[in-house]
Amino acid sequence: MLSKFASLACACALFSTAYAPAALASAASSIRISHPYVTAVAPGQTNSAAFLVLKNTSAHDHALVSASSPAAEIVQLHTHLHVNGMMEMRQVKQIPIKAHSKTMLKHGGFHIMLIHLRKPLKPGEQVPLTLTFEDGSHQKISAPVVKLSDTLKSMPMKMDRHH
Amino acid sequence: MKITRWISAALAVILLIAGGFYWLSMNHPSPNSAGAPQGGDFTLQSADGPRSLHDFRGKVVLLYFGYTFCPDICPTTLTLIGQALSSLSPAQQAQIQGIFVTVDPARDTAQKMKAYVRYFYPGLIGLTGNPQEIAAVARRYGVVYRKHKEKSGGYLIDHSAFIYLIGRHGKLRRTLPHGAPAAAIAAALRQLLQQP
Ligand SMILES: [Cu+2]
Repeated sequence: MLSKFASLACACALFSTAYAPAALASAASSIRISHPYVTAVAPGQTNSAAFLVLKNTSAHDHALVSASSPAAEIVQLHTHLHVNGMMEMRQVKQIPIKAHSKTMLKHGGFHIMLIHLRKPLKPGEQVPLTLTFEDGSHQKISAPVVKLSDTLKSMPMKMDRHH
Repeated sequence: MKITRWISAALAVILLIAGGFYWLSMNHPSPNSAGAPQGGDFTLQSADGPRSLHDFRGKVVLLYFGYTFCPDICPTTLTLIGQALSSLSPAQQAQIQGIFVTVDPARDTAQKMKAYVRYFYPGLIGLTGNPQEIAAVARRYGVVYRKHKEKSGGYLIDHSAFIYLIGRHGKLRRTLPHGAPAAAIAAALRQLLQQP
């Protein structure tokens, strides 16, 4: 009797983990995106990065798993690591956005890297971005191109603490 | 009572020593190199011909290493450097030379460096050279960098991101960490300008 109950409970648990998320709101509808921008480039600079704030309004952990944009040939999710005194920029599989919390993409940290820009980005232009989350849902946004000197005045940047 | 006093005194000493080591490590650009970087004279190529550190004797020199392919770290630091320099008086600006040295000489030509640095501050000079020359200058200043191959076939360069401040006599005087705000860079420059 007890084992029967236990297996039933087990099956229920399995059922709920397997099917419950589908019944819930998609990741895209749970994530609020704010303050998006892409930095304008210096002459000869062929890469840039997009920054924004991802707010998870749901009780479930979500993750940004990819991004795309017509502005660049390659778009990747990146982070910066401080290792052995060097700043290492590395591609990441995903950027986590924990339940009821914010993940900031900011200078010196997570960013959406735009590699091989199709044309130089000038302040005032708009860069369309499609963000895809872990369940395949996505959000389309438009990020203004901003001069770096303007963003550094308003955005707190990630300070490195050495070792 | 006496024992607790003794223990707290010993603890204080240990903390002081540990703090000292921490401070040393904070001011130490590269854990691989022995001793603090020596700095020193060098000659590299600008778009307008060779430039040496000793060309700027009498001026305070701000030295930074990076590469134009860098999407975030270098443009951010160069922007902060530009903001710091712009915040100084014209008389102070005239006594400072900012220099950006590439650690990616394969892609960064002198011409490319010139156009790039001017975007951040009109007076900046961009320098390149052959890989051996760059490596020699980097070693002297404690700059560490290495190529990181990407799956896409391209490469990035991991690099240390310190700002080096050189006094009027060509001696390396200060190293500022990555992320130093424009106001801190300006303050350090002002301080060096006051020294003969
Ligand atoms: Cu990146």
